[in-house]
Parts: sequence; C-alpha cells; structure tokens
Amino acid sequence: MHDLIQKLTALPWDQSPQWLFLIPAGLMLLAAAAAVALRNLIHSALCLTLSFIALGVLFIALGAEFVGFVQLLVYVGAVAMLIIFAILLTPASEVSASNNPFRSFKLSRAVNAVAGGAVVALVLAGLFTAIFFSPRVRAAVPSPNAAAPVALIGENLLTHTLLPLQGTAILLTAALIGAALLAKEEKES
Amino acid sequence: MNLENLPLAILKAILDAFTWCGAKAGIVVPPWALTLVSILIVIVAILSVFLVMFALMSVLERKILGRMQNRYGPNRVGPWGLFQPVADGIKMLTKEDLVPRSADQIVHFLAPIAMVIPALMLPAILPYGRGMVPVELASGILYFFALGAGTEVAVFMAGWSSNNKYSILGAMRAIAQMISYELPLVMSAVIAALVAGTLSPNGIVMAQAGVSFGVVPNWFVFTPWGFAACILFYIGALAESNRSPFDLPEGESELVAGHLTEYSGFKYAIFFMAEYIGMFAINGLLVTLFLGGYQAPFPFLEWIPSWCWFFAKLAFVAFSMVWVRATMPRFRIDQMMQFAWKFMLPMSFVALIAAAAWHYAGRGLAAWGISFLIVAVPYLLLGRFCFTRRHTVDNRRYLFSE
Repeated sequence: MHDLIQKLTALPWDQSPQWLFLIPAGLMLLAAAAAVALRNLIHSALCLTLSFIALGVLFIALGAEFVGFVQLLVYVGAVAMLIIFAILLTPASEVSASNNPFRSFKLSRAVNAVAGGAVVALVLAGLFTAIFFSPRVRAAVPSPNAAAPVALIGENLLTHTLLPLQGTAILLTAALIGAALLAKEEKES
Repeated sequence: MNLENLPLAILKAILDAFTWCGAKAGIVVPPWALTLVSILIVIVAILSVFLVMFALMSVLERKILGRMQNRYGPNRVGPWGLFQPVADGIKMLTKEDLVPRSADQIVHFLAPIAMVIPALMLPAILPYGRGMVPVELASGILYFFALGAGTEVAVFMAGWSSNNKYSILGAMRAIAQMISYELPLVMSAVIAALVAGTLSPNGIVMAQAGVSFGVVPNWFVFTPWGFAACILFYIGALAESNRSPFDLPEGESELVAGHLTEYSGFKYAIFFMAEYIGMFAINGLLVTLFLGGYQAPFPFLEWIPSWCWFFAKLAFVAFSMVWVRATMPRFRIDQMMQFAWKFMLPMSFVALIAAAAWHYAGRGLAAWGISFLIVAVPYLLLGRFCFTRRHTVDNRRYLFSE
C-alpha cells in the first residue's frame, strides 16, 4: 500500500505537459522587467526577489531539485536581503532629476531606445552564441530523470571543483573582513 | 486492519470511493485525476491537523502559562475555556482591517500572504509515520531551509510597508535575529544529515532506528554530539519562531508589536497563524533530526502507531517551548547577537567535529567518550571565558550614538 501512496503523491513533474514551464518562466521575466521599470527602489528589490523565486521554481520544474533549493536559500535568503539592506543604508536612495549624474548625456527618446535596444541585442546575441556553440551543451544528452543525487554533487564539490570552492570562500571572507572594517571606522569619526 | 496504517487506509478508501463514483457515472477516472485527488487529500489533511494544533496551542499555551504563574488562564468560553480559539477567531474576523494612509498599500497587503505561504508549505516534507511522508524529497532538509528564507523577506515587507518607526525597528531586529540564528540552526541540521548520510528526512529517521547497548535508543539526541546539536537546534528554533526569550522583535514593552504594529483583524491573525505553524514545523524537524522521528524508543512499545509517537514528541517539544516562555526573561539585543556569534556558532562547529570523531572512532563506547570530551571541553572553556565579563554601566559602549 505504501508504494501506491508514494506513486500517487510523487511530484508529477515527469508527466507534466511542456507548457507548464511557461508559468515560472513568464513570471520570472515579468518580475525582472518590473524590477527595471519601477520607480521605487524597494519595489524594484522586491520584484527582483520574486524573479529569484521564479527562477528557483523553474530549476525545480526542470528536475534540478538541489540547484532550485540552493537558488531559493542563497538568493532569496541572502542576496535579496543584502540588496534591501544596501538600499536602506544608502543615504539618498532616490536619485532626483537635478543631481542625476547622467543628465548631461540626455538624448532624445528615440536615440535612447535604439541605443538600449542595441545593447540588449548585443548581450543576448553573445549569450546565445556562447550557449549554442559551447561543446559541453552540444555533448550533453538530456535524459529523463537527470536530477543528480545530492551525494554526487557533494562529491564533485570536494574533488573536481575544490579549488574554486576554496577560492570563493577566501573571497567571501575577505569581503566580510572588509565590511567589518568599514563599519568599525564609523565609530572613530 | 491495524492502527498503524489507519491514515493510509483512509486515504486509500477515499480514492477507491472516488474511482467507484466515477465508474457509477460511467467515466473512466484517468490516473492524473487520482494523483490530483490524492494530493488534495494530503494537503487538506496537513492543513486541518496543523490548524487544529494551532487552535489548541493558542488556548493551551495560555492555560499552561497561567498555571505556571499561579493563576487560572482562560476558563470562560466552553468547558475549561477550550472554545477560546473560536471566540478569538470571531473577534479577529469581525475586527476592522485598518491600513495606515501613508502605508505602501500593495506591499502592506502582500506581506501576510508572503508570510503564510512558506509556513503552510513547510510541513509537507516531515515524515509523520512509517510510509507517511506527504512529499518524498531527496533534499528535504534543504527544502525546509530554502522556504524558511522567504520569511525574512515577508517580515521586511511588513515592517517597511507600514511606514512606522516601530514596525521598521521590529522588522530589522527580526531579520538580524533570523540571519544570525539561521547559521547555527542549519549547521546543527547538517550534522544530523552528515551522520545519517542523507538529506531526506525519512532517511534520517531510518538511520535512528534500533537500540544500542541494549537500553539506549539510537536517537541522535542520546549521543554527546547529538545532544549538543539538538540543544543548539532547539535554541535556534526558538529564535527563528520569535518566541520568548527571543521575542525582542515584538517586544511589546519597547516596540508596541514590532512589524505587526500596523496590522489588525484578519491580517494580524494570519501573521499569528504563520508564526505558530512555522513553530510546529520546525519542532517537527527537530523531532525528525534528533528525537528519532516516528520511531518508538523501545521495541516493546512498537504496538503504539508510529504517527502517535511523532505527534507525542511534537507535543512534548511544543510544551517545553511554553515552559521556556514562562521561565526566561527577554534577551537584550546585544546579548542576543553575542550569544549567536560567540557561543552558538563555535559550539555548532565543535558539535560537527565531535560527530566526525564519533563516526570515525567506530560509533561505539570509546567513540562516545571521545565525542563527549570534544563537546564538553570547548563548552566549559567558552562558558568560562566568553560570558564571565559582566556588562556593567561602566564598560557598556554605544557604538553609533556617542
């Protein structure tokens, strides 16, 4: 009977139709667009958080459970809070029109739109070429149930990618010490 | 037909009835419909169990607190005051929902929703009994902490959108506390996962089956490292669920009600509910990680169904939290931070080393002794040298207001 229950309540991602993928993906894009477009910085940060959450859901929907949960844990739990704290601790969090440093570069709307569009197109084209022509992506054969077990990920982290892991750890420690130093100096002034 | 399989048998009976009704109406029930119905049944079961526990807890907590403080507690509504939650619910629902005019309307509205969704999703991965795991996830522990991270954003949304100094102060305190105590909390959960060799809650419960030395159950709490990690997890759970002595984000004598100041009526009730369900869920994780989950302590007690054991342990941990609330005064914020970073975090690393030593020394009596030494010596040293300096008026320094 346990098998029956397990089969019935198992996550139905494997059999779910392809278009379900569009829900988190669309939400992610919408939230990211809102994060860019909104005037209020805190609203932008919250929209960015929503985008992070949707990305995590997308990973889980694609079968990468571990990466999805880590995405939620790190980006929603740490990075989003970091962004919000940075906004709150910055004295003038709203750039007014008079002291906008980019005012002298003010061009017409059409030129702005063309320039922005060109930059976006260039970045997207670069990303697409990088992904489509990378030998790893071409070699990868998508298999059903490709979710790597957690143990395998852990083993890889501590063998093949040990050096980058330790390098990241040193970088983060340096950042932490730097932040503590900056915070300490406030007292003496 | 035994009690052990009763919940599963009920689920199967409902599914059979569903199929039978479909057959009567001349429709062949497709498999996805059965999956959908079984998922819905499990969701309804979890929600009703946890909401009933929340209602019971809200009255029992006040009664236990009352008894511990030598008074009666609520005893007017219904027999022994048991219908108090009904009265509370009616009061909350009929109260006016006030929103300050200067509040950020949208974020103020969304904050309780952002708070309650993760709280309601947390209980999904807990193993309630043998074969009774609503969602089997290979990385269930990670799921729990990933969802818990959403709470911080919700608390910030509530505090910031209220546009009130008490709200934002309370929210900042709550976030500082949650981030600080999440580290030892996750570290001590990692220890249990390492020793069990899996991140799946059911796997961790399975690893705690049986009895060693003839009398001691194999629960992790009965090993020196497990005891230390269990206490650390318990303190972290108190802090994460904002319960006394860690209730300073809502310290009513200083901050009105912290991030809940500008909430009233049903939205306040939702925050309250999310807090209690989050507390039950994290207590359930504590039971799963260290207290043997649904395992009976001794083989001769196995005639009691496994899910009864789980809920009995859960009730015990919840009761102990009320007990702590009646016993301990509230922390000051600098004490709270010092305790997290100078005691909890080093001790969780010590417990990790002790667990590794216990594992590599063969998990026997000798391993027990070595592990005990590794936990006890740093504990005594930390207690002796970190917390003996009294913070008197002379040496207290206000970093940012001098």
